[in-house]
Amino acid sequence: MTVISPQSSESSPDASVLQESLTVIETKRVRKPSFNVPITPLVTIKASRPWSPLDLRFLWSHRELLYFLIWRDVKVRYKQTLLGATWAIIQPLIMMIIFTFFLSKVARLPTEGVPSPLFYYAGFALWTFFSNAVLSGANSLIGNTNLITKIYVPRLIIPSAAVLAGLIDFAIASLLFVPMIFYFDLGLTWSILFLLPLSIILTTLALGAGILFSALNTKYRDVRYALPFLLQVWMFMSPIMYPSSIVPRQWRWVFSLNPLTGIIESYRSSLFGLPLHHLSLAYSILFTAVLLSVAAYTFRRMEKSFAEVI
Amino acid sequence: MRPIIKVVDLCKQYPLVTRTQSALRYDTLRESMVNGVRTSFKRLIGNGYGAKERLWALKDVSFEVMPGEVLGVIGPNGAGKSTLLQILSRIIEPSSGYAELYGRVGSLLEIGTGFHPDLSGRENVYLNGAILGMSRKEINSRFDEIVAFAEVERFLETAVKRYSSGMYVRLAFAVAAHLNPDILIVDEVLAVGDSDFQKKCFDKMEEVIKGGRTILLVTHSMPLIAQLCENAILLKGGQVQKVGPAEDVVNHYYSISDASVAL
Repeated sequence: MTVISPQSSESSPDASVLQESLTVIETKRVRKPSFNVPITPLVTIKASRPWSPLDLRFLWSHRELLYFLIWRDVKVRYKQTLLGATWAIIQPLIMMIIFTFFLSKVARLPTEGVPSPLFYYAGFALWTFFSNAVLSGANSLIGNTNLITKIYVPRLIIPSAAVLAGLIDFAIASLLFVPMIFYFDLGLTWSILFLLPLSIILTTLALGAGILFSALNTKYRDVRYALPFLLQVWMFMSPIMYPSSIVPRQWRWVFSLNPLTGIIESYRSSLFGLPLHHLSLAYSILFTAVLLSVAAYTFRRMEKSFAEVI
Repeated sequence: MRPIIKVVDLCKQYPLVTRTQSALRYDTLRESMVNGVRTSFKRLIGNGYGAKERLWALKDVSFEVMPGEVLGVIGPNGAGKSTLLQILSRIIEPSSGYAELYGRVGSLLEIGTGFHPDLSGRENVYLNGAILGMSRKEINSRFDEIVAFAEVERFLETAVKRYSSGMYVRLAFAVAAHLNPDILIVDEVLAVGDSDFQKKCFDKMEEVIKGGRTILLVTHSMPLIAQLCENAILLKGGQVQKVGPAEDVVNHYYSISDASVAL
């Protein structure tokens, strides 16, 4: 065991040190700037009730930490890579090339009159963001154990930062739309302005899923193994590599239960100036709001035992 | 004068997983599968263990700390020292009882929390500072001081995974040492670096104490307790054995155990 000695000469830890220290203590008692103790405690620590609400003010006071964690994730992601942030474009681009060739050229799937590369790129840019965001959100708590067991920060910030960090990649990937839209000579319409609120809805949906799974993941590591499969199934059930118009009419309602359907369809509609599906979008918004509330509540309930079960 | 920390009847109990519940008992595959399903079902609906046996990590712990006081927390392994600090740092919740804190708390249960190996020294100072609760403005204003204290000026732009372990802990300690809370909770993190740097850490600690900060210090080093603390609290088996002037409590601790070996 290493022992710090005040002066290098007295490192022997016997009774003489204790004697010495008495005099030190005496001198210590005299001077000290006084601290004004407030009447009410800043913090009262006790067992929390299950229904305690989220402390939004406390979260807000840590917004800088949220920024720093996002910044860390973004910085670290492409460290020691040659291509750096170009990877954010390459991933959906390669998917686009594969699917344009196999689904459009070989299987001749329709793409609603949109040039097929654009159709697939839009789908995969969005899906890459969503699945990466949910996955890294879900693994954020178990990947940052020290932030949970060694210090107290508002834990909700950790999965939130992991999800939001994906937005940078999404923005970079979306840049490719500009040359593509010009290349395919697709006129831009005002509806492109809808992309912003749609991205917010999509991000909120990812936040809800990321927060919920991150909390469950601390206790049940099954999430870690099940989630990649769940996401894969989710991808096939979403109109990413096919338009929802090819889904048989009697199954359309099941298909619309997927909250991503409305978002992806509307996303393409506003990019390519197609008509919007108001009803399915409204459903997606409602689902997103409910999911986020459930996630926040679950997180709040499980949060107090994170440090013990993780 | 009123206390800055008030701890009242603090209890923390943990469920104990006993052998009967562990998989060791099952002998056939069928039985173990049935039991596996049964226990995982129990876990889903119950408190996660379904255990009857409990461990009291802390039991009815009460004490008060005055502003500017430096309180040492001592006791053998498993006495509940870390549990106490974790509760006061809000990392875990008590089972019952409460604690009131009348000032901003900074807790150092570990140095370098959140350090990322791929980030540079400069980046990690900001990240770690933010995690410890400093604002960006505070970090900016103390940045040069932190770097000078850690003596890593030349390596600021180097990824910390390329640091020597000495440089790493120096930087981590430097950030922590420049945290400026009303109440500082410290767990055994002072003894870092070579002897020169340890001396520096110790001086910094004294400076912090002179600044009127309230400090809760857990350590196994009795000379350190005697040097830095006015009062101490002795925990054993989750209960307070003795509170009082540091030297009395340290002597009492020696008398109930042969802890002098631990020095």
